[in-house]
Amino acid sequence: MSTAPLPVREPVWQLSRSAIALWVTQGVIGTVVYGLLAAAFVLFVPTGDGWLEAARWAVPAVVACYGVVAVFVRPRLRYRVHRWEVTGEAVYTLTGWLTRTWTLVPISRVQTVDVTRGVVQQLFGLATVAVLTASSQGTVRIPHLEVDVARRVADHISRRAEQVRDEAT
Amino acid sequence: MTEPGPAGRRTSPRVLLVHTITFRQARSLVPVALAVFAGRGFEGGPVTVAVLAVAVTVLSLLWAALTWWRFSYDPGPTAVVVTRGLLSRSVRTVPNDRIRGVEIEAPLLHRLFGLVRVRIDAAAGSVAGKDEELLVDGVTRDEGDRLRAHLLARRAVVPAEATGRHAAAEPEEEELPRFLNRWLLYSPLVGSYLVVPLAAVGALFRLLDELPDRYVPELAPDLARQDVLDGWLIAAVVAAGLLLLALGSIAGSAVVNWRFRLLRRGGSLVAERGLITRRHTDLEVDRIRGCAVSEGLGMRLVGAARSTALVTGLGDAARRGQLLPLGPRDRAWLLSDLLVPSPGPLRPHPPAALRRRLVRALTPGVVVLLAGAVLNVTSGWWPLLLAGAVLTLLGWPVGHARYTALGHAAGPRTFAVRSGWLVREHVVLQRRAVVGWQVQQSAVQRRAGLATVLACVGAGRGGYAAIDMAADDVVDFAEASSGPWAATLRG
Repeated sequence: MSTAPLPVREPVWQLSRSAIALWVTQGVIGTVVYGLLAAAFVLFVPTGDGWLEAARWAVPAVVACYGVVAVFVRPRLRYRVHRWEVTGEAVYTLTGWLTRTWTLVPISRVQTVDVTRGVVQQLFGLATVAVLTASSQGTVRIPHLEVDVARRVADHISRRAEQVRDEAT
Repeated sequence: MTEPGPAGRRTSPRVLLVHTITFRQARSLVPVALAVFAGRGFEGGPVTVAVLAVAVTVLSLLWAALTWWRFSYDPGPTAVVVTRGLLSRSVRTVPNDRIRGVEIEAPLLHRLFGLVRVRIDAAAGSVAGKDEELLVDGVTRDEGDRLRAHLLARRAVVPAEATGRHAAAEPEEEELPRFLNRWLLYSPLVGSYLVVPLAAVGALFRLLDELPDRYVPELAPDLARQDVLDGWLIAAVVAAGLLLLALGSIAGSAVVNWRFRLLRRGGSLVAERGLITRRHTDLEVDRIRGCAVSEGLGMRLVGAARSTALVTGLGDAARRGQLLPLGPRDRAWLLSDLLVPSPGPLRPHPPAALRRRLVRALTPGVVVLLAGAVLNVTSGWWPLLLAGAVLTLLGWPVGHARYTALGHAAGPRTFAVRSGWLVREHVVLQRRAVVGWQVQQSAVQRRAGLATVLACVGAGRGGYAAIDMAADDVVDFAEASSGPWAATLRG
């Protein structure tokens, strides 16, 4: 998308396409919640003069902009950015949409592997694999994989971690 | 059931005296007693008081004795077992290989009776968070040392020590550069020590609030009678307040850091400190992953610094890991280099990083300036404009200072990152410390060709970042600073 060279390489594999649907759903839910709040604001704040009147227009406008971005723009951008990869010695992900984050964790330092399924994720048959290390900040999350892929990946990582574990933390 | 296990040991009976004097167990009865007196009214003369005092003391002694009798600890070859509880018994077993550290404390009264308190730190995984701690209160000093040696000996000789006795000669001791008490004078320049007297002042005010009005000296009318408060008086009060604050911070830091000593004993570092309560803390050298030398804004003015070891799986690491609580910068570096060799001089970050720092430092000032300009035009109110101008002018040196603080370096066995202005932190880490890399690039950074690289570490804060380094250097830095697995990042 951008021509500037990346600081590190991109992981190889893309997420499942249902991830887009999931992010769109999350965007819709978020927009509905903010929309209700904005409606309450417009209904209950008395009509005033000056900046209060301006706020009565600005709040719904901001929510509408947010809705457009969250439903139509962000899911697609996310899908284009997100990548993941499990090699023989490391787990590697790229997440984000405006700010990108690459995370690399060597399998030898993996302590636990979790698979979690959120409520919305269950609707789309997706799951998140979280790979934890001794560092509170060194956690890799591979979001929104298909459930069976997530299980296989978690199994693979934990089996491989047993083989190559490095006791030092 | 009443007898401790075959190998179970009790703490020294002398601890009964300590606990009786401090009413350690009977303290919980005080509110009850107060309630009773409040209900019945207190009319007795000195005799009643004496009787009461004796009764409370006897009760306290009895309670202490019961607790002592029901407490036993058993440092076995594979695990420590602590049994306690008056009615419901609790038996806690901690395997020796889960023990992360042993700390020996000697509060004032314990010192008078030749006793110490041993804290055994058996932290669960760092992810789980909550530390577990065993407390053996009131063993003799020799027994405390023996216990510590036994608990920490397992790594050197694992199964051979079946008897649990550690009769072998103590490993050689080597004293690391000594802490000089005059360095305590640096404490008013350290933020955390300034908090101590402020907290004391707060407590005092709360106490004044609680006191009935007639005991509070009447200062206010005097002040109110003066029509105009003398400028000199205000200046004097402020100066006295600052002086008190400085003295308070020195006193507070002296209580904690008095006669700080750092010894290398076998495979561990032992730190000793404290004026009233002496503490011995063991750090295993093998668990040290790096060192942080931090210099606050005020400390930089006088060339002072503190250095802290970054140790894996250490509860309360910020305090226990301290190698030099306060001191001249070269001493801090001496200690840091001793434990973790320096990777060489830092490489500065590209000019684009300076531009980002300046933009960030100037933005708040400029925003205030613009708002001030608008206000000045519309209502003629100028103070905000002035504040904005001052903030903008200050932003320039701050941005530059933030930029000069940035740097990174990768050496043969270690690497270093530095950042920060309010507190500048220079962290040197071993290559093996890295358990992951996180590279971050925002849209702005992408255009400027920068990236922030976070080394994830299972010690200290959990991650240390090289902020805004050149995007092209990221892979080389990561590969040079950790294992060959980092080559995965290479395209």
